[in-house]
Amino acid sequence: MTAFAVGLAALLAVACVIAVALPFLREPEATDDRLAEPDELDRRRLELAEERDRVLADLKELEFDHRTGKVSDEDYRALVGPLRARAASALRALEPRAQASNLPRSAAMSEPFPAPAPAPEPFPQPDEGDPPQPPTIPDPEPPPEPFPPPDEGEPGVSRNIR
Amino acid sequence: MPELGRAALVVCLGLALYALFAGGFAAFTRRRRLAVSAQNALIAAFGAAAVASGVLLSALLRNDFSFQYVADHTSIELPTAYTISAFWGGQEGSLLLWLLVLTGFSATAVALNRRVGRDLLAWAVPVLGLVAVFFSFMLVAVSSPFATQAAPPDGAGLNPSLQNPYMMVHPPLLYLGFVGLTVPFAFAMGALLARRSDEAWIVSTRRWTLAAWTFLGVGQLLGAHWAYVEVGWGGYYAWDPVENAALMPWLAATAFLHSVMIQEKRGMLKVWNVLLVVGAFALALFGTFLTRSGIVSSIHSFTESSIGAWFLGFIVLVLAGSLFLVLTRLPLLRAKTRLESLVSREATFLYNNLLLVALCLTILWGVVFPILSEAVRGEQITVGAPYYNFFLKAFGLPLLLLMGIGPLIAWRRASLRSLGRSFIWPAGAALVAGATLLAFGAGSSPAGLIAYTFAAFVLGSIVYEFVRGTRARRALGGGSWLSAFNGLVARNRRRYGGYVVHASIVLLAIGVTGSSAYDTVRQQKLRPGETMAVRDYRLTYRDLEVRQGTNAEELRAHLDVERDGKSLGSIQAGKNDYRAEDQVSNEVGIRSDKLTLEDLFVIAEQVEPTSDQAIHFRVLVKPLVNLIWIAGLVFLAGALVAMWPSLAEQRRLAERYRELRAPARA
Repeated sequence: MTAFAVGLAALLAVACVIAVALPFLREPEATDDRLAEPDELDRRRLELAEERDRVLADLKELEFDHRTGKVSDEDYRALVGPLRARAASALRALEPRAQASNLPRSAAMSEPFPAPAPAPEPFPQPDEGDPPQPPTIPDPEPPPEPFPPPDEGEPGVSRNIR
Repeated sequence: MPELGRAALVVCLGLALYALFAGGFAAFTRRRRLAVSAQNALIAAFGAAAVASGVLLSALLRNDFSFQYVADHTSIELPTAYTISAFWGGQEGSLLLWLLVLTGFSATAVALNRRVGRDLLAWAVPVLGLVAVFFSFMLVAVSSPFATQAAPPDGAGLNPSLQNPYMMVHPPLLYLGFVGLTVPFAFAMGALLARRSDEAWIVSTRRWTLAAWTFLGVGQLLGAHWAYVEVGWGGYYAWDPVENAALMPWLAATAFLHSVMIQEKRGMLKVWNVLLVVGAFALALFGTFLTRSGIVSSIHSFTESSIGAWFLGFIVLVLAGSLFLVLTRLPLLRAKTRLESLVSREATFLYNNLLLVALCLTILWGVVFPILSEAVRGEQITVGAPYYNFFLKAFGLPLLLLMGIGPLIAWRRASLRSLGRSFIWPAGAALVAGATLLAFGAGSSPAGLIAYTFAAFVLGSIVYEFVRGTRARRALGGGSWLSAFNGLVARNRRRYGGYVVHASIVLLAIGVTGSSAYDTVRQQKLRPGETMAVRDYRLTYRDLEVRQGTNAEELRAHLDVERDGKSLGSIQAGKNDYRAEDQVSNEVGIRSDKLTLEDLFVIAEQVEPTSDQAIHFRVLVKPLVNLIWIAGLVFLAGALVAMWPSLAEQRRLAERYRELRAPARA
């Protein structure tokens, strides 16, 4: 029994060593062994993307809370303006040109940024029709599908911020 | 095959050490293959822990008493189900279960984050490795479940209190909760080590935290039910230090689940959230320490051992290391926004956090004070239920009220007009409920009356939230009320799942209040044929039966129960005499009323079978106690709704990280 147990233990140890060595066995001479990490530009971009998602989520929630009556008209009017300004600012900052002019591009980000950054959509007035396009945002290209905020997705409402 | 078990644990320790050091080196020097190799080590460690667990389980099922652990915790007569639960019935088995769950969770976290969170994962792996090193070292060097001896003819058996179906699931659920908190801790530390100030660690661990918190919550409720039906003192929570040890990390995790929403919505409280995660994990370690060190007098301290100092050292190391890391990363964690108004959703979350943490710290003080007192002054002091009950009322009642206020207030700020409109219905419901209860005599317990009034307010606010949300969704998308309701929940599972969890806490509060503030207790010595009355119940003691159970001699008193002159059948209560374990346990009789959710609870405190069969009975009537168990089901349902993956959210997050041109290989 002991010899059998020792044999099984040896098998286990060998299997574990193989599992641990697997990355080196698969790529004995890797051309690029660098573990990529977000550089300063990536981190800035991530912060901006989080800010964008956060503000869009806030806008959608504000819209929905206003519809449910949780937010009064006066609160809505006071809150929606600054939120829209922040959303526009975050969207604008995420545009490649804005970033390129603000931050040096790292090696990890050497490729051009993908497809146009989300262009801001015209924001609606809560109880009125579509408002005019914010003048500060030049890119007229169609925006990506507004994604729901973390667990706050309100597609019906998201249509309203176009 | 104890050799295989020991070897598997040594292999596990080696792999954990590799994950710690090689993983740390790889993250620091940015070596991709080494980082993946360290991740593989964690996965392989799970395999090794599984082999060790398999060896122990096999020994338990074979009644192989040459394993000291098997001989100490099982016997030939022990039913198979309890033989399996003996795996976690002792210290060594519990530690092995910790290691098994830890390595299993670590392997899962590695698998789930290899594609999207590689940078963070590289730093989380050494942290997970560190925790695995501690537990595998304990099992290899300090408290091995594979110690052997000359096999005795029979084992010592399992503690009778543990011979209950709840023991099959209660401890493993608590361990899943305790260990589950390791993952958010590791990713939070990983983010600090990687100098990341973004929310990636929260995104990566959101469901881990929710799952661990759910396991802890359900595990505690099952433990409460075990205490209720098995321990036989007529209650379900005794503020036992080890019960508190599971409650404290749950409270810290509850605070975190609320405050993390402020970070996600407003970018605030980053330091606070990291501290809460560290606190929850340290409290989970402390819970294991309390249960297994035998440092406190508790029904749960099944063993006294030398592992206490090791645990204490590790907890100090975790706290010191984490706090040092937080302090050195403070500039990164600075919030860029401020609280706009003291009357806003985030402000109520903040108050809720302060109350939860205050409650957690007062419980911690109640647990620690007797230990400190004995260590410093040599005096044995017990902190009793009145201390805890006072703080439960002082912090719990405002918490209950906030649970109703929070959903009614919008984020950022709320004007008086909107507050008035939101509060009118729930507050009206609460006032009507309070006045009605007062009229029916609930004023005999002022705290109970306040709790019921607040509970009505919270339920009113939850119903109102669902109603006006569904109405708004229907106005937006049309369709039936049901589809609008489904759409409402599906689009915001975390919020509406959270409301269901709130409803469960309200049910819990109603059940606890009813069964503690309005219960009735009577004690009486009865001989066969005699009767006692408790409230509107009449119990007649018929006879005493002595019978042979599987592994115990069972004494049962049979009582006929009447209510308002109507027979409700019979109930039996008595004691079990466990031969192998040489212990006696109370076996209570419980009759539940499905309509009123009230229990009639009978304890045969002193049985005298040799004389005139007189028995000292203690009978309790516990109104609404069954709401506590129903609350557990509602809690689980709400937690599942909140945890359920949202495809839209997954798409959004995938889009966010794709935009960032995340590293393509790792």
